[in-house]
Amino acid sequence: MRAVDRVLDAIDLETVLLAEDERSARRLAFQLAKELGLTDADIVALEWRANMARVRVRGYIHRPGHHYTWLGQTAR
Amino acid sequence: MARRKVLLAPMDPVHDVGLKLVQRALDAAGHSTLRLPPDLSAEEIVSRAIEYQPDTVLVGRTLGYNVPEVLARLVDLMEAAGMRSRVRLGVGGMAIRPELAAELGYDRGFGPGTSPEEALAFVEGREPQPPAAAQTLEKPDLTAGYGYLAKDREVATSLEAIATAAVAWGKARTSPGVERARLRRRLLAAEAGAGAGDGRVPESAEALRRAYVRECDPPIRAFYEGTGPVGKTRPLSPDEIAALAAAADPGGFERRRVRHLQTRPRVFVQYGTGCPVMDSAHNRVAEAWGADGLVHFDPSWAARTEGLIEGHHSHEEDGTLLTLANLRSIGRARLSGTLWQVRAHRGLNTPEIVVLAAAAGADLTKVNPVYGSLGAGTDPERLVVDGVECLSLAAAAGLPLDVVTNEELCGVPAGKAFAGMLIIAAMAVHLGGRPILQPLFCLSPDVMVTGRMDDNFVDYNMAKVMALRQLYDAPIWPGAPIGFLTHTEDRVQSATSTALHAAIAVSLEVDAITIASADEAYSGGSIAAASRVDTLLATAEAFRFLGSAKVAPTPRAREWADELVAQIKDTLRRILERPSLVDALYAGVLGSPADGVYPGRAGRGTVRLR
Repeated sequence: MRAVDRVLDAIDLETVLLAEDERSARRLAFQLAKELGLTDADIVALEWRANMARVRVRGYIHRPGHHYTWLGQTAR
Repeated sequence: MARRKVLLAPMDPVHDVGLKLVQRALDAAGHSTLRLPPDLSAEEIVSRAIEYQPDTVLVGRTLGYNVPEVLARLVDLMEAAGMRSRVRLGVGGMAIRPELAAELGYDRGFGPGTSPEEALAFVEGREPQPPAAAQTLEKPDLTAGYGYLAKDREVATSLEAIATAAVAWGKARTSPGVERARLRRRLLAAEAGAGAGDGRVPESAEALRRAYVRECDPPIRAFYEGTGPVGKTRPLSPDEIAALAAAADPGGFERRRVRHLQTRPRVFVQYGTGCPVMDSAHNRVAEAWGADGLVHFDPSWAARTEGLIEGHHSHEEDGTLLTLANLRSIGRARLSGTLWQVRAHRGLNTPEIVVLAAAAGADLTKVNPVYGSLGAGTDPERLVVDGVECLSLAAAAGLPLDVVTNEELCGVPAGKAFAGMLIIAAMAVHLGGRPILQPLFCLSPDVMVTGRMDDNFVDYNMAKVMALRQLYDAPIWPGAPIGFLTHTEDRVQSATSTALHAAIAVSLEVDAITIASADEAYSGGSIAAASRVDTLLATAEAFRFLGSAKVAPTPRAREWADELVAQIKDTLRRILERPSLVDALYAGVLGSPADGVYPGRAGRGTVRLR
């Protein structure tokens, strides 16, 4: 089993991106998620100041109701 | 247990606090210890070990530079001295990771956060024991010790008059919601092979279900007739149902402790991802990080539809469907000490939800027809009738209930909302129930307009609890969640805001709180389990920070508490001037269009006299 199959629901990426404006920062955040293989991604939080953006991008591995690869292995 | 001989050696210039704590635990357990001074070289430590002849050597390392080199040197020298094979070697400290320790040849590595008990267990060659408080959790009765007496004569008289009349008014009427709840009770009894408690033989479940379906809206009827799914729902697969069954309390599960020295407040979290399997997984995460209680969130559309479906179902959007099968599975998956609330406060199925909550083994429910009819879209007349039935059912089932005041989020001033809450609480007591008051700790629209939180978030929130305690002897459970409308999408801000509101709550010694996840302000997707951990950790930190100390409000809190008391009394007087509680709701006495609320329309015209 891959480690990603043990992710309960989502992976959050938190970092600071260098970006000239908020719009660019949002675009870069989605691009970063895609580059890291997170195809079902959304920006949870983004604050842009002075050519930098503090960002939290979420990649959903398992959305509620989908088939969970960890099914039957809930924490004991 | 054989007495051990332990040498403790701090391999830093100054840091030896961790080893002192470990030494204290070893001494208390009767072992012989020798703690060396800091800043000795590996050669000096081995030299002292040759003299002392210990069974175990514990070394500490806090500073992060040259860690592998320093620690590896010690292992090499012990091997060269012929000691390594007969001496157990452990290393701990801020710079240590278990993987690194194993790689360097240590028997055990203790990272940051290691307890002295873990080191003691290593020395004694056994598994560490979890702290006593983490092993078990007693399920408390949040209402124990409260007398439900109004402390103010005028308020007592007003509540008695309004509550008595409202209960009588409601009992003289019925609705599709009331009838379905009664049918559901009979149906459950029939399916269990029992009579309805009146000595009769079991009824036909099929006939009862047909009668139930006649009281439902078309989409629910279509479900029972097998002609269509309901909304964005799907039945759970057999493997999902099996996974739910397997998630039952494993016993001996270790929770993190959320409170420090305090016994109150109990900490509740809300769940309702839409999927019972994901809910159970999230709930286990919350329990592991110290949550005392769970609150079930259902879809908002279900509150506006007459009737509930049956079976295990997943829902594509927020809110988990209220079915007995879903509830039983989620309820069984919780730890035995975890409190569980199923809400029945706002829609067209409120009495039946109380029936299901009781049948599924819930510990608490939530009822407030005033909020439900002013802030959640249900017709006031309908919800008062259904609310009286709810309160009766909850009392009969022994389910305490909180009386929520979410109409404050719509713009209703707290004083009016509290008057409504006290009326419902008095009605519950009149019917033999045990209500819990739920003021909001929130940055409400009214507070924004009046500027009461321009300076701080402490005074007005504390004033609310002070006012309620001045008037009524009942448990208090601020919610829901605390800090409502103060959270942002930033998880640190969000968790910190929750923790600071928790600090107010613990200072007031309230009975319970409901906390948000750090995703409270994020609306783009479902809440992630890690965000639940964030706020539980932050809340635990607030409790640890305060201990038995308290947050103190400014004198404005007392002034605002007095103002709230006056508003509550004024609202009660104005209700008494109206023909009934229902009339007062339509007339806006408990919240008006000017405040931001409107009498709901769902279920209008469905009430009939018995």
